Amino acid sequence: MSRTAAAPERKSLPGEPAVPAPRAPRRLASVGPYAVMALPAALVIAFVAIPIVETAVKSFDQLGPRGQVTGFAGLLNYRSLFAQPVFIISLQNTLTYAVAAVVLCVAVAFVLAQLLSSRAGASRPLLVSIFSPTVMPMIAAANIWLYFLAPRIGLFGQLLSALGLHGTNLLGEPGSALGVLVALFVWKFAPYFALFIMAGLQAIPQSVREALRTEDPTGWYAFRRVVLPMLAPMMAFVTTMALLYSVETIDPVYVMTQGGPNNGTTLVMFYLYQLGFNYFSWGPAAALSALLMGSLSTLSGLSLIGLERRAFHWQ
Amino acid sequence: MAVSRRNPLATVALGLVAVIWGFPTLWVLYATFISPRTGGLTLGNLAGALQSAPFGQYAINTVLIVGGLLIVQTVFGAVVGFVLARYEFPGKALITGLFLLQIVVPVYAILIQEYEIVQGLHLLNTKLGIMVPYLVSGIAVLSFRQAFRSVPRELEEAARLDGYDTVGVFLRVYLPRAVPAALAFAVISVTYHWTDFLWPLIVTNTASARPIVVGLATVAEASESGLQWNLLAAATAIVIVPVLLVFVSGTRRILSAFASTFDW
Repeated sequence: MSRTAAAPERKSLPGEPAVPAPRAPRRLASVGPYAVMALPAALVIAFVAIPIVETAVKSFDQLGPRGQVTGFAGLLNYRSLFAQPVFIISLQNTLTYAVAAVVLCVAVAFVLAQLLSSRAGASRPLLVSIFSPTVMPMIAAANIWLYFLAPRIGLFGQLLSALGLHGTNLLGEPGSALGVLVALFVWKFAPYFALFIMAGLQAIPQSVREALRTEDPTGWYAFRRVVLPMLAPMMAFVTTMALLYSVETIDPVYVMTQGGPNNGTTLVMFYLYQLGFNYFSWGPAAALSALLMGSLSTLSGLSLIGLERRAFHWQ
Repeated sequence: MAVSRRNPLATVALGLVAVIWGFPTLWVLYATFISPRTGGLTLGNLAGALQSAPFGQYAINTVLIVGGLLIVQTVFGAVVGFVLARYEFPGKALITGLFLLQIVVPVYAILIQEYEIVQGLHLLNTKLGIMVPYLVSGIAVLSFRQAFRSVPRELEEAARLDGYDTVGVFLRVYLPRAVPAALAFAVISVTYHWTDFLWPLIVTNTASARPIVVGLATVAEASESGLQWNLLAAATAIVIVPVLLVFVSGTRRILSAFASTFDW
């Protein structure tokens, strides 16, 4: 509005249309935003909003062999899902895997961030080596580990043979196979999360760091009472993200174990894939989808809130 | 600041970490390119892997999917980000929430419904079918919104006095100042989509639309069951060598783009 008042003072350029220019943005301000955003908003409605509602609704529907709705099922889909022994096993596996993977991954990431920011500048070969798992696809990382662990041919297998442990296959036992998945998760994601923690460390103002150095040269007290609290929002964010990633895990299961041996590595996401696309068991699959939608979206929403808190903290 | 904290222990520890993290990858590259008999360079494993699956087709599919998504997401992100950063209108909070929803609910959370939509559109086993759920990126919208918010109002007013209309102001004043944000977003988008596995796996069933990561998993399955471990190593090398070369050439820039992923 104030700009319209200023308009007459504008120098008129030759050949310019008689309509004063400030009118254009005002017209855009009335219908323009909607027109411009119609297509992207429609796409989000069609591919996000509607599927959310459908996922929730269909979990209570009776579903035919091709996934079509044939009636109302109430809680039947959920009952039959929880009646599957493999589903209960997959829940237990996912819980063990997620807790171990997140705790180890965040701890390693934290140490890695300290190490990387305690040097003036890490050399390029060092950075390439540490962050090579970050830039490659999980499928490639899983292949590399599969090759590394292969009995007889893999280096790890040869090492075990040299130690007299012939024929030991870490992927051949349920417990150790899940352990391998945890180790792979840490190897793949710890450096990535370390990047965020490093950014959190760098955001601590220079003046604070200077003061700490003169007040508390050994650093431990300052670290515990100042650095750690300032880093807390970032740590919360990284932990939630790691939890989200661990619950979403399917790629290494698909490549390395196919859920075996003896369902020892069947994680919930892989179980959903099997229910839907191997067994075409749409009812339980719909129930599991709805449960996963709730938990994954909650985790992802929490990490976003963590992010807002971090932003609020520093800006 | 770093000088006082540099200690030999940290250097040794970091070196050790680098060895542990780099070793498995180096071993796979070694197994691919070094012949066990002669100890010299060999391309035999690579040639064998290239013959075992249409990696050329997979690579082209990947470039088309990832490139196409990047262009569409960037255009939508820039336009919507601009409107959200600079205009007030009724329902703005609701529309912002809609794009936030796209970030909060991952495709994996609504996988089966997405599959049924793509099936209904007769887009199964097509590149477009892989792309449709991802055409709008909430992260792009928020990144651009943040970048545009930091553009000083005076610059826009000066441009308006010079006779630019809204489109001109957007193209000449705002877009050039969002280039760093756009590049950071490009790194994030490209990394996410070329490594994505489950969604393209269920949408495709032949090589015609399959991206390279799904192709690699298929080769892994085949070589694992046939115990052709060298094929597995070589196929993996085909996929990771190009990305490692890119990473070596722009190490720090790529790492800082990763770190600014969530810098809204």
